[in-house]
Amino acid sequence: MSQSLLKAEHVKISFGNVHALRDVSLEILPGEIHCLAGENGCGKSTIIKIISGVYQRDGGTIEFDGKKLEKISPIDAINMGIQVIYQDFALFPNLTVAENLALNTELASRKKTVSWKNVRKIAEEAVAKINFDVDLDEKVEKLSVAQKQMVAISRALMSNARLIIMDEPTTALTKKEVNSLFKIILKLKEQGIAILFISHKLNEVFEISDRFTIFRNGEMVATGSTKDLDDKKFTYYMTGREFNDQIFVPENMSEKPVFELKNLTLEGAFEAINFSLRRGEILGITGLLDSGRTELALSMFGLKPADSGEILKEGTPIKITNPRDAIEHKIGYVPEDRLSEGLFLTQSIGDNIIISEIDKLKKKNGQFDLKKRDEEIKRWVAELEIKTKNPDNPATTLSGGNQQRIVLAKWLACNLDVLILNGPTVGVDIGSKHDIHMVLQKLAKQGLGVIIISDDLPEVIQNCNRVLVIKNGKIRSEYDTQKVSEQMIIDDMM
Amino acid sequence: MKKKVKKIFQSNEPYIFLIIIILGIVVQIRSGQFFTGNNIVDLLSAMIVPGLFAIAEFMALISGGIDVSFPALASLSAYATTKILLDKGYEGNVFLAFLIAVLIGALLGAINGYFIGYLNLNAMIVTLGTSSIFQGFMQGTLRANQLSVIPQGMKKFGTDSFITATNKVNGLSSVLPYTFLILIIVCALMFFVLRYTIFGRGIYAIGGNALSAHTAGFNVKRTKFIMYIIIGMIASIGGICRVCMMQQCHPTNMLGMEMNIIAGVVLGGVALTGGAGTLTGCMLGTFLIILVQNSMILLGIPTTWSDVFVGLVIVIGVSLTALQSSRTSRSKKKAVKEGA
Amino acid sequence: MKKSIAVALCAVMTMGMVGTCTTVFAAEEPDPTTDEAVVKAAEEEWEIAVVPKDSTNPWFVRMDTGVKEFADKTGVNCYQIDTGTIDATKQAQLVEDLIAQDVDAICVVPVDMQSMDSTLKKAKDAGIVVITHEGADLTNVDYDIEAFSNEGYGAFIMQNLAEAMGEEGVYTTMVASLTNGSHNEWADAAVEYQKEHYPNMTLLEENPRVESDDNGDTAYNVAKELIKTYPDLKGIMGTSSFDAPGVARAIQELGLVDKFFTSGTGMPADNAELLKSGVLKSLTLWDPAKSGAAMVDLACKVLNGEEIAAPANLYVDGYTEMNFREGSETVLEGQGWITIDAENVDDLGF
Repeated sequence: MSQSLLKAEHVKISFGNVHALRDVSLEILPGEIHCLAGENGCGKSTIIKIISGVYQRDGGTIEFDGKKLEKISPIDAINMGIQVIYQDFALFPNLTVAENLALNTELASRKKTVSWKNVRKIAEEAVAKINFDVDLDEKVEKLSVAQKQMVAISRALMSNARLIIMDEPTTALTKKEVNSLFKIILKLKEQGIAILFISHKLNEVFEISDRFTIFRNGEMVATGSTKDLDDKKFTYYMTGREFNDQIFVPENMSEKPVFELKNLTLEGAFEAINFSLRRGEILGITGLLDSGRTELALSMFGLKPADSGEILKEGTPIKITNPRDAIEHKIGYVPEDRLSEGLFLTQSIGDNIIISEIDKLKKKNGQFDLKKRDEEIKRWVAELEIKTKNPDNPATTLSGGNQQRIVLAKWLACNLDVLILNGPTVGVDIGSKHDIHMVLQKLAKQGLGVIIISDDLPEVIQNCNRVLVIKNGKIRSEYDTQKVSEQMIIDDMM
Repeated sequence: MKKKVKKIFQSNEPYIFLIIIILGIVVQIRSGQFFTGNNIVDLLSAMIVPGLFAIAEFMALISGGIDVSFPALASLSAYATTKILLDKGYEGNVFLAFLIAVLIGALLGAINGYFIGYLNLNAMIVTLGTSSIFQGFMQGTLRANQLSVIPQGMKKFGTDSFITATNKVNGLSSVLPYTFLILIIVCALMFFVLRYTIFGRGIYAIGGNALSAHTAGFNVKRTKFIMYIIIGMIASIGGICRVCMMQQCHPTNMLGMEMNIIAGVVLGGVALTGGAGTLTGCMLGTFLIILVQNSMILLGIPTTWSDVFVGLVIVIGVSLTALQSSRTSRSKKKAVKEGA
Repeated sequence: MKKSIAVALCAVMTMGMVGTCTTVFAAEEPDPTTDEAVVKAAEEEWEIAVVPKDSTNPWFVRMDTGVKEFADKTGVNCYQIDTGTIDATKQAQLVEDLIAQDVDAICVVPVDMQSMDSTLKKAKDAGIVVITHEGADLTNVDYDIEAFSNEGYGAFIMQNLAEAMGEEGVYTTMVASLTNGSHNEWADAAVEYQKEHYPNMTLLEENPRVESDDNGDTAYNVAKELIKTYPDLKGIMGTSSFDAPGVARAIQELGLVDKFFTSGTGMPADNAELLKSGVLKSLTLWDPAKSGAAMVDLACKVLNGEEIAAPANLYVDGYTEMNFREGSETVLEGQGWITIDAENVDDLGF
């Protein structure tokens, strides 16, 4: 066995009374791709910050390149060749690509003035390293997320990096972009650079990494070669729970469709969309980011009314020109970005739950019925197993999965017939994701018609009984999820 | 090349410039007096003090901060300087006045810089506070009242002609004092600092993303501290210019200028959120405000409506630039989509 | 002593010259210590606060002098308290503070009529005596003192401007702001007076009233713009003490001495140079020190429960025969105006 590049053993750190890391170890070999996985709050980010010198550990040892390190400062870490690419990339959106790339080098040279010729030269060299084709004079804020990431990677490579740490680099990327990112990661590996890849996405871990380490609750629970890992083990290590993954089978399906689209068209987004949904069904809609899937969701809920075509509810055509119409017809929508669209983050959990049924909580004289309000809140907190000590706390105090459940509760409170979810588990960790899926399946079995719009294919396949694939605004294909593979869907999407 | 031209039109400056030209033409049509030497000189001389203040405010905004204390700061340092020179019976040239004012300005700016930079307090609140303190110090401690006589050197500097423009038709001749040179020098100097020094790029970097600037190795606290010192110095230079040009020192008549200055800078495309904007845009935006304020009568706008008109120009100007920038970003998105 | 005699003398001189004044000045300096209400006020230690528009304007510095002198001479507990800048909101706050402190009388020179009126109502409701100056439109006051009738003073400025302009040519009027009470009344009266007495003068139709924001620099820029726009314009009537001096700066720079004229309120010492060099022919004024003292004296009388009947004697020069404004039971007007020119500017002492 070759000597390790980074070896952290029994590292501990606590903030106040919170033990963020109880006892974790992490070993990275030179030139390997190592995946660090774990649910939110498991200590992934904390260990990165310790390695890169942002936090000082309370205990344990860290060796880099065989040398024991007592105290690491950010500058030490950079000088040793450790580079971190954070989720926000730590770029300067208002500066040009060239300047973003050159600023660190210029700063390190301790000069007082800037030579713009030199900036360009440095930048050109930097992008050449990964054959990154970009307008160096463009401001970074105008780049796509993937391009920004490339800039961050190019910048990291400039200082003779030996270990590049990427914190959840695929979160905001499209499938295509993830693939090209992986190509670059492999290229870096060829150059002998070790990569620590933080992710909680199972398929990515399998696809890219040589070895893995999994943390849970501030402790290391597993490490080893990715070859020895499978789905079941991965999920178990992550959550400490075992799930049996069965494809959703609808029960109590209604005879007649509850919700139908006929030739629904929105100029420039989607055209001639036809499908029907029965009670008890979970219908999946998938497609690439710009396929029109999101616009379709918005049209069904009245946020972007369609130009032509019909929407039918229980067989009768209805008009949906704004969300009020949709709610009146008992159609609910859980948006993609639950934080910005679906929740009033600073308001209390309880108020978030009852906001959409507030009309019903009136007494006869028009006064707000506080007693009824509390009953409703209690009911939904229990029903959806929202983990909170006090529903009067603001929604920000909850984890991602629990926040998502509030959004669900909010809609279910108005006795829906149809629930449309757009990317229901984006940014939610495995455990919570599973719980949300179970809630959705339970609701379908109780007679709700559910539409899940998502590009998380395992999610769609496992939780839906049917799936529609959209490409360029049109339905490309429809599958029974019992008889479809991920690859078939991907082929149709591309 | 074509790309470069396109890029220029994606920025704010040409649009503000266009508004200025259009407004100029409208004034010309209404009064026949816009494109005359003396009118241009009048406008330039009205631009001197606001121009200096705008440069100071520009830096604060670029760094993601704001400074609403500069009128009070400038008033205090200009007043104190004039008072000191008067008390000492100083008869020499203006250089000493600038030197003293800049030193006082640096000291007062350092107060802002310490709280905003080192203690990391909100710039708006800090400068609101120091603004009151500076005013209070002037009124309470210095018992400031109008100084009708100012030292000879200052008076000479403020009234001596750098350029005199005479209108041949009506014989009016306007004087552009040497203080205009001060504006040009400060402007050129700050352009260099902001564009070609690590310190200047640091201000942009901090405005773009303070945390990243810190991790990249900028000393964020020190940069902010020094920047507010420079802001204090420039504001004080503006204060002295004002006193020289007015030939008297009034302790409060600069107060209240901050909102129009900020409006002008923002009009020039400088983002209140920090990081974005150019010095050229800042000067153009400020000039537009000055132009509007000093063309009401030429335009024949009744006094009753002049405030409404100034407000309208600000709102329309900002909307136009916002519209323009959203249009470019939209066309960009479209291009990406078509490309895919 | 010498100072006030000089003021009185020059006032008499001016009146004689202008000839609109029918008042006969008391030959002797009036002595407020002979006013029994004032003596009572000193004994009872009534607290009388004077609130000017701001503290840095030399005008109100001078008023402060008058109030202080009155206090020193009579022993009355009166003082001036001010806000730093001309700001209606701050002034209202200050008055509210005084109400909370439960002073016996508040004398105010209001910045903004409407907002001050509602604040003064609270003072009246709290049983505090309210005297104002330059606030004839206020309703919630015991009395308002004007150094003179606004009509009289406006006409007086016009006489000065007309003399400078040779009683002919186009002129316009300048006020601090269009919402300023007295400035606009003076300007209106001046225009009225011009129409009656100077047929060869005309008011600039396109722009009969401009604003200076009480700021010399604004006055200067506005004057330059006016001169450019209207080649026929020959004079500007100023009202605020920054107007005429600001306009004078423009006259000087544009090379229009003896071709373009201005007159209006202004402080002597600040403008001595402009007057002597001939850029300004004359300025008009009343003595704020006297207005301040008169307000305090009147406050003493009201606190003493005296009935104020015209002509009221406030024991201050120019305020010895106060008459009620026509149709008003609260506004008292005196005859306290003076002209300042190159000759007397150095004699005034402030």
